[in-house]
Amino acid sequence: MSERTVTVASSVGLHARPASLFAQAAAKVGVPVTLTNAAGKSVNAASILGVLSLGIGHGETVTIAAEGDGADAALDTLAEVLNTDLDKEE
Amino acid sequence: MSEETTPLTELLAEASIDLDASAASRDEAIRLAGAGLLAVGAIDESYVDAMIDRENSVSTFMGEGVAIPHGTLAAKDSVKSDALSLVRFPAGVDWDGNDVRIAFGIAAKGNGHIALLSQLATVLMDPEKAAALRAAETTEQVYALLESDEDE
Repeated sequence: MSERTVTVASSVGLHARPASLFAQAAAKVGVPVTLTNAAGKSVNAASILGVLSLGIGHGETVTIAAEGDGADAALDTLAEVLNTDLDKEE
Repeated sequence: MSEETTPLTELLAEASIDLDASAASRDEAIRLAGAGLLAVGAIDESYVDAMIDRENSVSTFMGEGVAIPHGTLAAKDSVKSDALSLVRFPAGVDWDGNDVRIAFGIAAKGNGHIALLSQLATVLMDPEKAAALRAAETTEQVYALLESDEDE
């Protein structure tokens, strides 16, 4: 099991647009990834509903975890997504 | 739960619920969801265009036949109060290739949307509740399904 603890950079937190981009990215990495919020609640990172249900705000710390072949590469990719301010759209 | 979160049922006025709508396009469906927010004075009319802008940028389809159209960050000033609208499309709407049965229009100032979306997503993660919501024919059913069950 590999893990990364990341601070959410998106200025409005992990809500609709960032949550959707993050879940899409998680669905593409090829290994199942779990997302856990600071309160310890875990969801499937590829589920938009799951990600939204955690209600993660800007600057909150989350943990992503995966296991198996490619887990580290997958987590590096997703950590990068979380480190980016996904709300910058203009 | 120590956070001050307004229950979904308080944000959704009966005047903002339309359980038997039809729309020929995604944009028409978004305008109906926007009309539900306008009906209670939660937004300025310009917010509805911002909802469509947002949708063009990234789909607000959430899964379970539900989309959550809302405005862009730049349109926050068009929001007068936090509110929710619900439009049900029994025949479905083609939402960029997804079949949408329910559109929740969302108006939120500041960071109010985070708690709001969290509550909504928690309801929809229960497939039985999501199915019941898609089939809801009365506002009573809608309110019962959206009742918070955060204590579990």
